[in-house]
Amino acid sequence: MNITRRDLLKTTSVAAVGSLILPSVVGKAWANGQQHDHSTVVLIRNQNLFAGDKPDSAICSQMLDEALCRLTGKGKADQAWESIVTAADVVGVKTNGWNKFPTPSVLEEILKEKVLATGVKAENFSINDRGVLNDPVFRRATALINIRPMRTHAWSGVGTLIKNYIMFSPKPSSYHDDSCASLAALYDLPEVKGKTRLHILVMFTPQFHHTAPTQFSEEFTWKYNGLLLGFDPVAVDATGLKIIEAKRHEHFGEHRPLNPPAKHILLADTQYRLGNADPSKIHLVKLGWDEASYV
Amino acid sequence: MCNVFYSMSRIVIGLLMMMYGTVWAQHPVEGLPEHFQSYRISERLDYTQDNLYDYINGAAEMYLSYGLVGMRGCRYTAENLPDITVEIYEMTESRNAFGVYTQSRDRDEHTYGQGSLTYPEASLFWKDRYFAVISAPKATPESAAAIRFLAETTDKAIPQKGKLPAIVGLLPTEKLADGGTLYFHHYIWLNAYFFIADFNLLNIDGQTDAVLAKYGTPEQRTYLLLVEYPDGTATEEAYRQFMQRYAPEAGNGKSIRLEDGTWFVGWHNGNRLGAIFNSPSKDDAENLFQAIISKM
Repeated sequence: MNITRRDLLKTTSVAAVGSLILPSVVGKAWANGQQHDHSTVVLIRNQNLFAGDKPDSAICSQMLDEALCRLTGKGKADQAWESIVTAADVVGVKTNGWNKFPTPSVLEEILKEKVLATGVKAENFSINDRGVLNDPVFRRATALINIRPMRTHAWSGVGTLIKNYIMFSPKPSSYHDDSCASLAALYDLPEVKGKTRLHILVMFTPQFHHTAPTQFSEEFTWKYNGLLLGFDPVAVDATGLKIIEAKRHEHFGEHRPLNPPAKHILLADTQYRLGNADPSKIHLVKLGWDEASYV
Repeated sequence: MCNVFYSMSRIVIGLLMMMYGTVWAQHPVEGLPEHFQSYRISERLDYTQDNLYDYINGAAEMYLSYGLVGMRGCRYTAENLPDITVEIYEMTESRNAFGVYTQSRDRDEHTYGQGSLTYPEASLFWKDRYFAVISAPKATPESAAAIRFLAETTDKAIPQKGKLPAIVGLLPTEKLADGGTLYFHHYIWLNAYFFIADFNLLNIDGQTDAVLAKYGTPEQRTYLLLVEYPDGTATEEAYRQFMQRYAPEAGNGKSIRLEDGTWFVGWHNGNRLGAIFNSPSKDDAENLFQAIISKM
């Protein structure tokens, strides 16, 4: 979009520039008259999620059910799940298997249980990450569920739901240019287009900083005990980003922008029209524990 | 006789070159033990710039932006103990190893190599053309001891020290934040400390040296950017583009007050361009400007 800090200083409030650069930029884009619908994002948190180091399975299940009910407007959990997948669907759960900070296996198990309970046949269900292109279930999938934990990333700013589909590309590195600016184009790939029924950004213990690109350190995670659910990956990622940015500010005692900025979230909205990144266009529903939610 | 002597000389010189070349080319991973304590090598890592993606996906781009030659290392395993992974990234030049290090640390320790940082689960350091990361998935007393041992061993396996980029030596040291410098030559890193622009406003590329520095306290940060171009023409072109877009009302080396009340100075001098951002006062901006000009 070719924006400088000075552009922002001239057109937006000082407070906005001093805090979150992404919403500031997006706000400017909307000021140019672009129209977007609102997106709903559900944030659910539970103070008692962790029993020791492990998330409690029953609480995880309850959190998913409650959040999905609110997102779908259904009164009961089984109705909510049946509203996003049906018995006839072939369902691929696109997870994230980075060995240092993977999607918690308890959530993968619960998703399998919930999806199979809708009547989806076991042979029509798969969970995969790096092998999606060779997975026979993913190859004939009619429905996708996108799930991953949020963490800072050395090239894209943050690892997001938008980015999680990079394994659907036969050449993932072709999406790396300009700090992964074009990641939203992944959603036009035939393996993906129009198939995603639910996006889940895992915020159990988000990673808000990293030291070396391959490095994971518990020092830079915290127990946020949350899940973000939505149908719009851009809105969910933008909300997660806001939480990460706020935590960084609190931890470092000063504004510490992501390095590099997560411009792919912004461009997913303003260039690719994949969804909404502007907080004013996101209807955030907060459920459960609200202490230090940052949003 | 002369021919025999000449041939013998060639053979001896060739042998010496081979021996010297072997020593010169020895990778520090070869200095690591097969086993120590109850740990043993279970996997060897060997990646080039073309396939590092297979190991760390998109995170490889950061290394590539600094001129990666390759990464070699190994994974140690031991029963009932966390694995320990040693990754030794070899860069084209020592300045690039330093650059990767500046990306990775937010304070400076000097336990290993030419600059290091240790966390409960990892140690990382740079030395010569190498950037090393020794890590475990979780911290235990045993894994911490193993990380210390392997960091020391890797450090010793790199015999030479590398030169710091000359541009870093130009930074005034007064009020410079600990660990607050970042060396780079890819425009992506321009916003590492402070959002400046989301595009290559300053024509930064592999032919330029750039450094960002943080001054002052967290509550009142000033940021200094220095860029060194191949020649004066490239500098003037970058300066013109930068100032036209960022501060058209400012002259070379003249401080101006921006809309948020902070002070800005931009200048060019020979093949160098500089800018001071977010200074809390005119005096502070001009003092920092004078401090750096006196070193240029």
